[in-house]
Amino acid sequence: MGRMKKLLDQSLRPLVIYAFTVLVISIPVYFLIIDVIWENELDKHHYAIREKLEKRLTRLSLPDTAVDNMIAVLDKVQPGFSFNETAAPRPDSLYTIIRFDDFMHDREQFRCLTTDIRVNHKLYRVLIETNMEEVDETILAIGGVTVFFIMLLLAGFIYLNRKTALRIWQPFYDTLAGLRTFRLETGKAVPLPVSDVTEFADLNVSLDTLMQGSLASYRQQKEFTENASHELQTPLAIVKSRLDMLLQSQSLDAGQMRIVEQVYQAINRVSRINKNLLLLARIEHAQFEEKEPIALGKTLAGVAEQFADRFENNALHYTENIEPFTVEANPVLTEILLTNLLVNAVRYTPEGGQVQVHLGGGILTIANTGTGALQTENLFRRFAQASDAHAGSGLGLAITREICDRYGWQIGYDFTQGMHRFSVRF
Amino acid sequence: MKILIIEDEPGLAESIGAYLTAQDYLCEYAGTWAQAREKVELYRYDCILLDLMLPGGDGMDILETLKKQGQQDGVIIISAKGDYETKIRGLHAGADDYLAKPFHLPELAARIYSVIRRRSFANHNHVVQNELKVDLLSKTITVHGEVVILTKKELDLLLFFIGNKNRVIAKSALAEHLSGDIADMFDNHDFVYAHVKNLKKKLSEAGYGNYLKTIYGTGYKWEG
Repeated sequence: MGRMKKLLDQSLRPLVIYAFTVLVISIPVYFLIIDVIWENELDKHHYAIREKLEKRLTRLSLPDTAVDNMIAVLDKVQPGFSFNETAAPRPDSLYTIIRFDDFMHDREQFRCLTTDIRVNHKLYRVLIETNMEEVDETILAIGGVTVFFIMLLLAGFIYLNRKTALRIWQPFYDTLAGLRTFRLETGKAVPLPVSDVTEFADLNVSLDTLMQGSLASYRQQKEFTENASHELQTPLAIVKSRLDMLLQSQSLDAGQMRIVEQVYQAINRVSRINKNLLLLARIEHAQFEEKEPIALGKTLAGVAEQFADRFENNALHYTENIEPFTVEANPVLTEILLTNLLVNAVRYTPEGGQVQVHLGGGILTIANTGTGALQTENLFRRFAQASDAHAGSGLGLAITREICDRYGWQIGYDFTQGMHRFSVRF
Repeated sequence: MKILIIEDEPGLAESIGAYLTAQDYLCEYAGTWAQAREKVELYRYDCILLDLMLPGGDGMDILETLKKQGQQDGVIIISAKGDYETKIRGLHAGADDYLAKPFHLPELAARIYSVIRRRSFANHNHVVQNELKVDLLSKTITVHGEVVILTKKELDLLLFFIGNKNRVIAKSALAEHLSGDIADMFDNHDFVYAHVKNLKKKLSEAGYGNYLKTIYGTGYKWEG
């Protein structure tokens, strides 16, 4: 998945692109229109000047020499005019030119009209020119204004979009926030906000149906496990009691006794798995609700004491380093957690190995000697034993994880210096 | 000693009955809630084994009725419901003990022995087994009048054996008795051997005869 985009920005994006395109196209269009209007006006203006000039000079009824003088004066003094005597009339010429202007000391753009005027039967070629804004300057100005308005428009778009869209989509975000808190394990559907918008109301109804459906199948699955385990308890009890009776038989020989012993072992393993399945179902069933402050160090020492026989029997070196620490949890679950971690350590430590328990700074570490790192990805999953060499229930670590998850404790595993280390951060 | 076995599973009731009868208990049976109710109202028992899930009703009712009537019968709940809530509810309602199925018959026998012993404390607070005398009140063991010092586990074992006199007890039953919940987490129960050996040694050193027998290395038997 690439970068996630927000819904609000999605709807804004085409709008922004469209507005931007229109405004960019508008720059040359503005320019062309302004240019055409501007040139038209100037040309009209130039013709007017020509008419006035010709009429006024004629009306003065001056002798030819005086006209010549006056025109010479005008040619020199009046800016934007230049006069030349000419023999034959020529057609008018309208054009735009960019040239260096001595007065402005800069390159300037001019609109020019070259025409003829007739005064006292004498033909003069007149050039009238008016300084106009240069193309680049015009475009720059239009561009500047356009960009300014684009910005204004975009800022407005974004602001208004955010404001209205947020309001429109608020029920959606509320639903989303509600859904995020939904946990199957709680066994409860999340109440979704009521909306008077048809689409959101439909969405919420569908989601509610979905949640109820998931909850129902989850409940069924859990009940199945629990019922199945319950149903197994009675036949197990019968087998166990029958074995106890079989043992009383006087005629059993050594070989038969060994068989009975093996059956005991298998039956114990079945009861162990069954017991743990039931326990898992109960933990998931949100039983063990009540909480109390637990002196973890004390509980740990108490649990470890139960293992004294095991340590001794397997010649394990047990060391503990426990600082007082209190957690708020269910005492039964806490004891199960500690027991399972220790059982795990004892079960998988080779004879003569080490089991080290350390509790400090809110972190419990249980380390034991091992031969190689375990596969971590399946470690805490049900019946996903990392090693076939020992017969556990395959549920011990799944249970510890379940308990840790419930209280938001972090359970971790690593293998360093030849020791498996399971740690719980409370 | 009279025992009432309230258990709807005939196979289990039969095993329990057979085991206890051989222990010189007199056993009666009730397979349904109605039967159980009738027996409990008509007769008195030294110990009642009570299954909770019965055809026709909840075993807990029977316990409550008994306690309401002020009856002194000892009650041990035997139930497939191993959860802590039920256990606590049962004990709270006045049961003397609670044993979750599946259990070993010697464990049940030891519990029954303990319940009956506690109930008749006033009469006999000591047990005599050949040269051995156990004072149940002060938990002192004497052999030929000489005190034998036992560890808690050894004393536990001794009482367990006494409660299962002349029966062959599997090693796993002893392991479960000694280490409780964690016993069934392991397949290897060799540690039992060490405790039994120590107990045997202490008793024989004090002059007690060889009454504690090992059966083919996998079971134990206390002869008395």
